[in-house]
Amino acid sequence: MKPVYWMSGLFGCIFYTGTVLADAPSEYVNYSDRGQELDFPAYHDPLDELDIDKSETRYQFERSSLRALNVQDPLEGMNRRIYRFNAQFDQHVYLPVVRTYVWATPDIARKGVSNFFNNLKDIPHLGNSLLQGKFQRSAETTARLLFNSILGIGGIFDVANSMGLPQQPEDFGQTLGVYGVPPGPYLVIPFLGPSSLRDGTGKVVDWAIEDNVNYMNNRDFMNDYQATWGIWAIDLRYQTPFRYGALDSPFEYDQVRYLYTKLREFQVDN
Amino acid sequence: MPRKTIRICTGLLFAIAFTAQAEQFDYPETNPFMATVAGTPNELKVPVPDEVDVQQDDLAVRVLPDRKLPPALSNYRDLHFRVAWHDEPAPLIFLIAGTGSGYDSSRMDYLKRLFWQAGMHVIVLSSPTNHDFIAAASNSGMPGMGAEDARDLHTAMSMALDKAQDEKGFEVTEYRLAGFSLGALNAAFVAELDTHLGQFNFSKVLLLNPPVDLYASVGRLDDLSYTRIPGVSDNDSFYEHIFQKLSRHFAQRSNSDIQANLFYEIQNSPEALSDPELAMLVGAVFRFSAADLSFMSDLINHGGRYVPADKEIKVSTSLTPYLRRALFCDFSCYINTQLWPAWEALNAGRTIDEMAYETSLRSLQAFLHDSPNIAAVSNADDLILNKNDYEFLADTFGERAYLYPYGGHGGNLDYPQVAERYMDFLQGEAK
Repeated sequence: MKPVYWMSGLFGCIFYTGTVLADAPSEYVNYSDRGQELDFPAYHDPLDELDIDKSETRYQFERSSLRALNVQDPLEGMNRRIYRFNAQFDQHVYLPVVRTYVWATPDIARKGVSNFFNNLKDIPHLGNSLLQGKFQRSAETTARLLFNSILGIGGIFDVANSMGLPQQPEDFGQTLGVYGVPPGPYLVIPFLGPSSLRDGTGKVVDWAIEDNVNYMNNRDFMNDYQATWGIWAIDLRYQTPFRYGALDSPFEYDQVRYLYTKLREFQVDN
Repeated sequence: MPRKTIRICTGLLFAIAFTAQAEQFDYPETNPFMATVAGTPNELKVPVPDEVDVQQDDLAVRVLPDRKLPPALSNYRDLHFRVAWHDEPAPLIFLIAGTGSGYDSSRMDYLKRLFWQAGMHVIVLSSPTNHDFIAAASNSGMPGMGAEDARDLHTAMSMALDKAQDEKGFEVTEYRLAGFSLGALNAAFVAELDTHLGQFNFSKVLLLNPPVDLYASVGRLDDLSYTRIPGVSDNDSFYEHIFQKLSRHFAQRSNSDIQANLFYEIQNSPEALSDPELAMLVGAVFRFSAADLSFMSDLINHGGRYVPADKEIKVSTSLTPYLRRALFCDFSCYINTQLWPAWEALNAGRTIDEMAYETSLRSLQAFLHDSPNIAAVSNADDLILNKNDYEFLADTFGERAYLYPYGGHGGNLDYPQVAERYMDFLQGEAK
């Protein structure tokens, strides 16, 4: 036998016993005072390795959380009412409709619908990538549009994603953010949810871009067959994982406001 | 030479097999903080059906007809719960959520699917410490006392069952009970209460990662929120620190597409969260639950701590100022400033340690030890247990204590080795 075989055999053995030993509980202990012949894994305290602040002024959580609550929200009263309206609309109308849609259609059809509408959104994504001077991203989004519209049969298949070109959303709110426009007051938009003055304006601009480009005549088509707008609306919710009540808190509005604000900062930076 | 190698190898392995004295436990996540936060990696979980394939519905019952709630909280007037059922007669299991979690949390949904898949009807209830339960089903509006919470739960369970059978018309062959974390402690108290009431006569009771001494456990979780983090000074925000890490991570990536396994991706990158950071995250989530609890309990009892007793909270009223104040109250603060004065008023001359004992599993030791139909699942590195608590589980439950070397707080409940054993117990095939 060539030395390389038994060498690798030996290494394999050392490695294997090594992992088994590392994974094996260090010891088993009999904890019973009742004379039972039972051994249990030995206790170890994960908190031992932590440095826990015992001082009088241990305010890390409070300091961080209080700062997170400082979001500009001058229209809070109205926003909270709309938030509540959206939650109830979601619970009684929107989600039941989406559930029926999921029940009535096969997975692959839903995927196709989502891909189709996402492909259309690559138009404003491209426009905004260009406006932000992100040329590589613009080139990739252009390639996506071409591949998906042609090979993906009008966008029904996201072939570009399988080719290593995932969708890279850029909206006009982000574009404004890149040029230093602050988000402005927090806004909750009926049906659509959390936004800000800047991002709400951005949505209107993105909408206008889609309308004017009218890519593959989609707007004309959708206006001629108005039921397609219904599918568009259902798919919009189907693709949004957010659920009201998921944060399990009477302070959900405050928490969503902070998370939305952070998410947008994030998207502007990246 | 190779034969010798093999012989040594085999010898070593036998030696290990005998030292371990048990089936090798191979749960991959040995870090208790990672296990607690992320659970089992998706591809290693026990497979369960998709949510859309489960026959289920959310229902609601009015448990406390006289409870007055302000308009902002009016959607909690009814107690909401989730039921998954089969068309054939089957055992029904009640499932109780953990501290500050609702019936619709993702952990509950996973367990529900696991139980449903095994042929049980499932009714999932929010934790008595969750804001919806406090508003809709807690008589005192002040959860945290074992016996009282058990009475509230027992009532809620009976009403939920009636409602579910009325609406869905399924037949029940026997009753079972399970709870996670604080919900497991609640389950133990409900099971004990039911032996006096004879309503459900639970055939099996499963305690998943229970605390032993509730007040000691919440003290440990409070502590996590005081973890010192290298690189976060007394003027920095912990959240900003985490967001900056995420931001740096994304800046290094080629694209900004957010993946489903994002957390694992980050933990394998240079910006991986450290143990103190993970501990702080667990602590912070828990502190928000404590703030919710303190706020809701005070509101229901018109304590005036946060909301002036005569103020009506409308849908448009900002709750932010109340949250700002409630943030300062950790779970121990809730016990000391709300629970204890109320208890002391009814139990003059008794101590806070006696109150703690009444809500610990220690007060049920004889019952738990002598009931062959109750089992407990936990880990040697569960964040909520100290050494005495862990030993209490081993000692009290004996061979019905399913204790594992790793998994943190509930991180391995979806791991096959763990789940198969407690499912066998529930289905009556336990050895």
